[in-house]
Amino acid sequence: MRGSRRLRLLLVLLVLSAFTLTALDYRPGESPLDALRRGADTVFGPAQRALGGVARTVGGALGGLPSLGSKGSELADLRKRNQELEAQLRQTEDLRRQKAEWDGLLKVKDFGTYPLVPAHVSAISRSFGFEWTATIDVGSKDGVKEGQTVVSGLGLVGRTKRVGPYTTVVVLVLDKDFAVGARLQRTASFGITTGDGGRGGTMTFELVGQKGELRKGDVLLSSGSGTFVPGVPVGRVTAVDRSANALTRTATVQPFVDVTALDLVGVVVQQPRGIPRVPIPPAPLPSASPAPMPSATIRRP
Amino acid sequence: MTPARFLLGAATVLTALLVQTTMVARLPLPGAVPDLVLVLVLAFALVEGPLSGLVTGFVAGLLADLVADHQLGRLALAYAVVGYVVGLLEDDSDRSVLLPFVTVALGAAGALLVFSAEGLLLGDPRVTFGAVVRGLLGSVPYDVVLTPFIVPAVGALVRRVDLDPLRR
Repeated sequence: MRGSRRLRLLLVLLVLSAFTLTALDYRPGESPLDALRRGADTVFGPAQRALGGVARTVGGALGGLPSLGSKGSELADLRKRNQELEAQLRQTEDLRRQKAEWDGLLKVKDFGTYPLVPAHVSAISRSFGFEWTATIDVGSKDGVKEGQTVVSGLGLVGRTKRVGPYTTVVVLVLDKDFAVGARLQRTASFGITTGDGGRGGTMTFELVGQKGELRKGDVLLSSGSGTFVPGVPVGRVTAVDRSANALTRTATVQPFVDVTALDLVGVVVQQPRGIPRVPIPPAPLPSASPAPMPSATIRRP
Repeated sequence: MTPARFLLGAATVLTALLVQTTMVARLPLPGAVPDLVLVLVLAFALVEGPLSGLVTGFVAGLLADLVADHQLGRLALAYAVVGYVVGLLEDDSDRSVLLPFVTVALGAAGALLVFSAEGLLLGDPRVTFGAVVRGLLGSVPYDVVLTPFIVPAVGALVRRVDLDPLRR
């Protein structure tokens, strides 16, 4: 082997460089290495964006495979015909899925009147399964900042973290480092929902206070604490932890959004001042015609 | 090292990283997901020895750090160290059919443990005992499954572009 001493020197050198980079990058907030990230973003972003589209198409085709295999073996020609039709369908289906995603996103926009920037998910990072983060194809040039809410038509997707000029890393709802204040839709009891780090694809909801009642099937909405916008659907309670000695009550939550099948998402680029409010119309004068009262009750979501 | 060999390293690492982040990481597999980049680093170490494993590991790890959400240099350290050690193992022993599988399994587990140990030192909230165990059980088997495809492919590519590999 050529120069074992030189090799060991190189090992020490590279290990020390790795430690130095980590130490420089350790402090929260602005990091001196962000320039390096932005550079990588400029190079990687376009390639990831292009490949992300291919991956979605491939994934859609693979998703259709099991249903093809389960058909009877004696119906060979029917199967062939079916496959041809499904191949045609898959193209229209992809378009339909994209349309449905846009529709969903537009509905979210209408609901909260939040200004949304649409984005595509281009890459996912797992780091041995410790992380659940995604890269989306919008960045500071599109008005994205750190800590903004990311939604899809189905509900909460995550929170923006490292913002580059053209792409942004999003911490997804399943990540262990993700937490959002949430309310039970049924009782408005408040709690914190955190990601389980990928285990079972679930989140954990911890109810604040002793009195709240948790039921299987309860729907959770973001409460608007921290930098999150309020009223975004988070997930549904699938199991309630009934351990007797627990100080807080916890439940397992299935997020509405499937993070392995993400395509179109929206970043809420401007924080509303609070829960959007609609003025209550004044009560009609007693002398007015006996028309039905305008509904002045505010239905809490 | 010839320019052709350098290009081979750069092209394979970049391809692996792009495929990993855009496709492999999205697969809805039980457990975690395979780490294409790490298996590639280990393949270079097995084919060419410790120098190749060390350098490929450092560069590939740093690039993987750039697209993830943790401090830079953590994957670089993990990949470089296991690339070096696996390269040394290969250097000392004669070839057997099982050796690549065993070394990839050990290398993958080693890289995960180095990454976790550094996470513990830095107080990374994602690194918990359960997550480490899940990672070991969930990702190492997938990496071993990738071995018979990637290690021979890297061997063939290296022989094709460079008759005098880094080792000698």
